Amino acid sequence: MSGKNRINIFPTRMALTMMKSKLKGAVTGHSLLKKKSDALTMRFRSILSKIIENKQLMGTTLREASFSLAAAKYAAGDIAPTVLENVSTASIRTKMVSENVAGVLLPTFTKSNEGTTAAELTGLSRGGQQITKCKNEYQRALEALIELASLQTAFVTLDEVIRVTNRRVNAIEYVVKPRLENTITYVISELDEGEREEFYRLKKVQGKKKKDIARKEADQAAKKALKQVSNAPSVPEKVANLLEEEDEDDLLFKK
Amino acid sequence: MVVHLFGTKTPGNLFTFNCNDGYLEAIVRGFRSGILSASDYNNLVQCDNLEDMKLHLSQTDYGDFLANEAGPIHTTTIQERCTDKLVNEFNNIRNQAVEPLSTFLDYITYGYMIDNIILLITGTLHERDTVELLEKCHPLGTFKSMASLSVANNVSDLYNNVLIDTPLAPYIQGALSEEDLDEMNIEIIRNTLYKAYLEDFYRYCQALGGETETYMCEILAFEADRRAINITINSFGTDLSKDDREKLYPALGHLYPAGSARLAKADDVDQVTRIVSEYGQYRGIFNEVAANQEKSLEDAFYEHEVKLNRTGFDTQFGYALFYSYTKLREQEVRNIVWIAECISQGMKSKVNHYIPIF
Repeated sequence: MSGKNRINIFPTRMALTMMKSKLKGAVTGHSLLKKKSDALTMRFRSILSKIIENKQLMGTTLREASFSLAAAKYAAGDIAPTVLENVSTASIRTKMVSENVAGVLLPTFTKSNEGTTAAELTGLSRGGQQITKCKNEYQRALEALIELASLQTAFVTLDEVIRVTNRRVNAIEYVVKPRLENTITYVISELDEGEREEFYRLKKVQGKKKKDIARKEADQAAKKALKQVSNAPSVPEKVANLLEEEDEDDLLFKK
Repeated sequence: MVVHLFGTKTPGNLFTFNCNDGYLEAIVRGFRSGILSASDYNNLVQCDNLEDMKLHLSQTDYGDFLANEAGPIHTTTIQERCTDKLVNEFNNIRNQAVEPLSTFLDYITYGYMIDNIILLITGTLHERDTVELLEKCHPLGTFKSMASLSVANNVSDLYNNVLIDTPLAPYIQGALSEEDLDEMNIEIIRNTLYKAYLEDFYRYCQALGGETETYMCEILAFEADRRAINITINSFGTDLSKDDREKLYPALGHLYPAGSARLAKADDVDQVTRIVSEYGQYRGIFNEVAANQEKSLEDAFYEHEVKLNRTGFDTQFGYALFYSYTKLREQEVRNIVWIAECISQGMKSKVNHYIPIF
């Protein structure tokens, strides 16, 4: 018997129904989890391809942005210290929004403009156009970066969740279900064995009864044969006769 | 106040120039021959990395200026060291100059001083540590009271204690009050100061007379016009009103006063082009920009400036060559840094956007 991989319960019919319902539950759970895992994996793959193309885009935008910075420095001189000193708070921030995908909370980042950019008139007397161009290029690069950040956090979260879900799927498929199935088989086999024993007992009892009857018949047949051989008038058997008096004990008044 | 030693055009300048300033003029002409030539630039653009550039530069007048730099060189290091060389040469000349050349050279530094002061005002407004800002100032624009900067913690201290002691005090007092420093946009302050400076410099050159006046006034007129055009174009789409804009135009140059008045009312780039194209000198610039998509207006202006500065060397007995030398060296530093950036960022297709000087 596969005593190692089954639950130890007392094999009754009640236990059998309980185990069967548990098995049904496990099967439904398994298919649901598998569907969840498949949905998540599909999303995972699409995010992966988006990340690849986004990374390349980010590479080119950052390169263009740093080149436009070089052009701005060429035209307007070193604007860095003035711009840096003029900054008070960040004017571009990110907001995080959580999105529910197949039960997983994925964060997405969006850009939000808060406050005004202070140094709008930088390069008023020279290099203004290059500086504006540089500012726009860097804003584009920033947008690409924010999107990449959303994609990457989603990627990492999904990875974790898919791992956990797959572990559960595999656990149900390779541990829980076989165990339940083995238990059910065991219980069924125990019950069958009991039935067989019962049946066997019945048969044996029947057989014994038959033997008894057969012996009785054989006895009677032998007696009859003896009677026929000694064919003398025989004293008829004394048969009980109500009309004759007999010494009987008084039923009512016992002596 | 700035002292004008010569109230009128000096007679006999041709005779006395060489005793006072001949030596320095010779030195500057020597420096001028060390400015990178077309073949030097050809070598530089063909370099593959900054180490090659360092090698090529060591064979020019720059010599071993990068020799003491540790590790891989960065474009900012190149820019700093090149500027250091220019500053050294300038200070060399400045320390040996006598009046009126020394005042003239001081005027050249006032432009950088304005930038430094703007930086300090901005830093003080946002309550940053002013001593840190000292390192970011342009070395050609240092002034004596910079040492007392750590004393000034707010704008009013800065105004009353530090700025009053600088040579720019008359410009500041003439145009700005203490409240203005707090409220006005920093760029407007910068341009107001620069306008006052240009006008003062122009008057000084006119007072010096002779060859100086001929060449310097031409160069300064172009500078004023260029600023006016730039201010106009860059103020489209911002909240700079037309009146404010007009207040920033310097009161000199070919465009003043008729062109400036019309520029002040302009609304877009096409109008500006039309207004300016009526002046013969500038028609060529705008046509070039229209014809060539890759060239921006700034590039065309820089080219014109280089052309004018080159003429500064064509004459003797004038101070224009000192100014031209400073500006041309600056342009050279810009060129070298541009080439370095293109090489290090792998954008060699744009590397030829520098402006050759000679």
